Parts: sequence; C-alpha cells; structure tokens
Amino acid sequence: MKKLLSMLIILILVFTFSSCADGKKRYEAESLQVFDTVTKIIAYSKNKSEFTELSEFVFDILNEYHKLYDIYHDYHGINNIKTINDNAGKSPVKVDKKIIDLLLFSKNAYTKTRGKCNVALGSVLKIWHKYRESGIDDPQNAKLPDLGSLRKAASHTDIGKIIIDEKKSTVFLADPKMSLDVGAVAKGFAAECVAQEIALRGYTSVLISIGGNVIAIGAKPGGSFWNVGIENPDNDGKEMPTLQLKDKSVVTSGVYQRYYTVNGKQYHHIIDPEALMPSTYFKSVTVVSDDSGLADALSTAVMCMPYEQGKELIDSISGTDAVWVLPDSNILYSDNFKQYLKK
Amino acid sequence: MKFIKKIDILIIAIILLSSLIFWGINRLNTTASPVVAEIYYKSKLVKTISLNNKKDITFSIPQKPNVIFHLYADGSIRFEKSDCRDKICVRSGKLNIVGESAACLPNEIILKIVRKKGDSPDDLDIILGK
Repeated sequence: MKKLLSMLIILILVFTFSSCADGKKRYEAESLQVFDTVTKIIAYSKNKSEFTELSEFVFDILNEYHKLYDIYHDYHGINNIKTINDNAGKSPVKVDKKIIDLLLFSKNAYTKTRGKCNVALGSVLKIWHKYRESGIDDPQNAKLPDLGSLRKAASHTDIGKIIIDEKKSTVFLADPKMSLDVGAVAKGFAAECVAQEIALRGYTSVLISIGGNVIAIGAKPGGSFWNVGIENPDNDGKEMPTLQLKDKSVVTSGVYQRYYTVNGKQYHHIIDPEALMPSTYFKSVTVVSDDSGLADALSTAVMCMPYEQGKELIDSISGTDAVWVLPDSNILYSDNFKQYLKK
Repeated sequence: MKFIKKIDILIIAIILLSSLIFWGINRLNTTASPVVAEIYYKSKLVKTISLNNKKDITFSIPQKPNVIFHLYADGSIRFEKSDCRDKICVRSGKLNIVGESAACLPNEIILKIVRKKGDSPDDLDIILGK
C-alpha cells in the first residue's frame, strides 16, 4: 500500500509541473511604429504586466534605434544618419555611439560580403527609391532610371570615404556626393543589440521580429525550439520548410513584396551594387546566423550573387547557413542547413 | 514468490490510465482549439473572425471602411483591397496558418492568424516576412 501511495504522489507531482511549464504563459505584441515595418515580440512571461514591461522596453529601445538610423527624417535634438548625409563633404557630425557601432559593423560586413553589402550605396539607392515611389504613385507613367545616371552615382559609393573618429564620436563623409543607406543592416543590427540588452536583464524565451529579421532569445519554456516558417514567395499554398531555432537569428530577403512595375515587369528593391539593377538570381534568400546584423547583411549580399558564390561565402562563415528559393521556385540549402529543418 | 505482484499491475494500470487522460486533456487544450483571424487597428484588437465559416464574405472594419478583407470558404483570409499606396498588405496574399500575419502600415492595421485558445507545440511561432 505504501508503494502505491508513493507512486501516486510522484505521478501527481510530475503532472503538476509538466502542465504549467514553469508557470509562464505566452504573450504577443506588435508595433507599426519602428523601421517602417511590423515589429513583433513573442514571449513567455509570468503574467501580463511582466510581458508589458518587456515589450515596452523593447519597443522603446527600437524606437531610439529607428530615429538614429533614419535616412529620411530629422528629429529634434538628434543627429542621425540623415544628418551625416546632409553634411557630406562639409563637416564631421557628432553622433551617438549606436551610430558609430553600426557603421563600424557595416564596414566589417562590406569586407565579409566582398562588397555586396555596401552602406555607402546611398547615391544609387536614392535614384531607385525616387523612381520606385513615382512608379507606385503613378503606375501608368512608371519608368526605369537610366543606366548613365546610375553609373555616375555609383562613382560616389566608396565605403572607405566614411571617416569614423571613435574618440570624438564623429562621422564624416569625405565625398560630398556620397550618402549612406543603412537599410540592409539597420534592422538586423538593432535586433541584435536589443536582444543582448534583454538577455542581460535575465529574460529568456523571447522571439523578436523586425520586419522579417527574427531573433530567438533562448528556447521556449521546457527547452523546445521556436518554430519559424519561411514565407512562400509564390503564395500558392505549397508547403515551405519550417526551421527550429533557439539562440539564433534568421533573416529573409525577398523580391516579392516591395517592388514596382514598369511595362509589365516587376522591379524590386534589392539593388545589385555591381549591376546597379535589381538582383535577378533568386526569389528569396534566408540566412541563419548567431548574429542578427550579419544575417541581415548576408541575406542582402547573397541575393546579389550566383548560388555557387553565395554558398561558398555562407560556408566560409562558421555558424551561418542559408536557403535559396530560385526563380523556378526550387529550393537549395547550404551544407549544414538541414540541422534546422523540422523533422 | 511471484515475479509480478498484483499491486505492481495496479500501479502500471494507473500510470497508463493517467497518461492517457493527461494526453487527452493536453490535446483538448491545444490542437483542438479552432483557428481564428484577429484584426488590430492602432494596436487594439477590433475584430475576431472564425476561419471556419465555409462561405465567402468580404467585410471591412468601421475604423477603416476603405480596407476590404476577404474571408474565403476554404478558411483563408486576405487584404482584398486597400486605399494605401504601396499595396504591400494586398500582396501578402492569403493567410490561413497559425503564425501568419500581414499588415497595412499606412492604415495601421494588422491581420493575424492565431488559435482561439492557447497554443500548440506544432504551430508556427512566426513566419519570416509574413
């Protein structure tokens, strides 16, 4: 009888603990206020107020990054990337350390991606942006920029001319016709910084997505992995791979949402720095990495190079893998990518 | 001395039965929960709609009558039309899987697919780009 009783007690304890998964509940929140995209936070928290505190903390930090990394708007009392661009060839601009860190990271990313991710490409991207915006507003008269003006602009994209003085915390663009566009790295870099901050505060089991830049902080309660889906570029109902991640970042770059149409042909927003035209190699590239900023830079860079070259680049960086969706919708993987695929 | 006592059989039976009951409760709490679409305007939940309607309907929310949603008989939902300029919301296409979402930034609307109650370990937590 004693044996029976002790077994029953063990059973009750096992069920009690396993059913409440250390007492945490899943919460989600979204914001449309930062980086002109959807930012989502999913976390397992003890209660609603703990989650609200976390989500407000995350959105507040991201809002700060958003203002600093903005290339289109001025904010009272803040020197941001736009301020640096406005002062190109004129004078160094004193900026927050978050900008210095981003630009140092970007220079490093430029070397790592063999020039395919270049934050100094602003002069070229500005032209495409102007044509894309006009084409969206007036589709009947949508036009392509002429290659001559793109080539002329491309002669002002030397990343070496971003002069960073870490001691004085200033940035100076030595070419008056150059400008910065940090769109290929800013969201990923900011996601990495915010993830480090919340991990330091002791949060675990958090998933943050800034417009498709996803970062997993820890795993779900009980240790199970986060299930992250890859979007089907064709939206035709075909099943896409599901990744299982913990303490990893994943970023997708794709051509299928942000585009405009000229004479029936779509022209998207990822511009190949060599061809100066939208890249044509893939429908999307998804990169998994330990570093969200690097995943962001690589996903843009790998979109702009043939598969073999991209695979060789991805394989050369440890802890980094990728999946490519080809124009015919076939899917290719880097050597170690399959470890993340849900069985 | 017998190899298995009656009491051992009873214990095994209790364990098996308890596991079965626990598994059943767990399934009821998660996978059985129906899938719904939630529509948020300015971060506030303004409409929840079952995806199990089995008929085609189009509708809008009172806050933004120029944004039209289409709920399909097959259980999917999309932004059908919008007065925004970039139409990224419309291009997001049909949604029907838990974890999918689409947004119309200029109109401050988010459409997302969730379980009515709880979550299932097999559900997607998020879909990249959606």
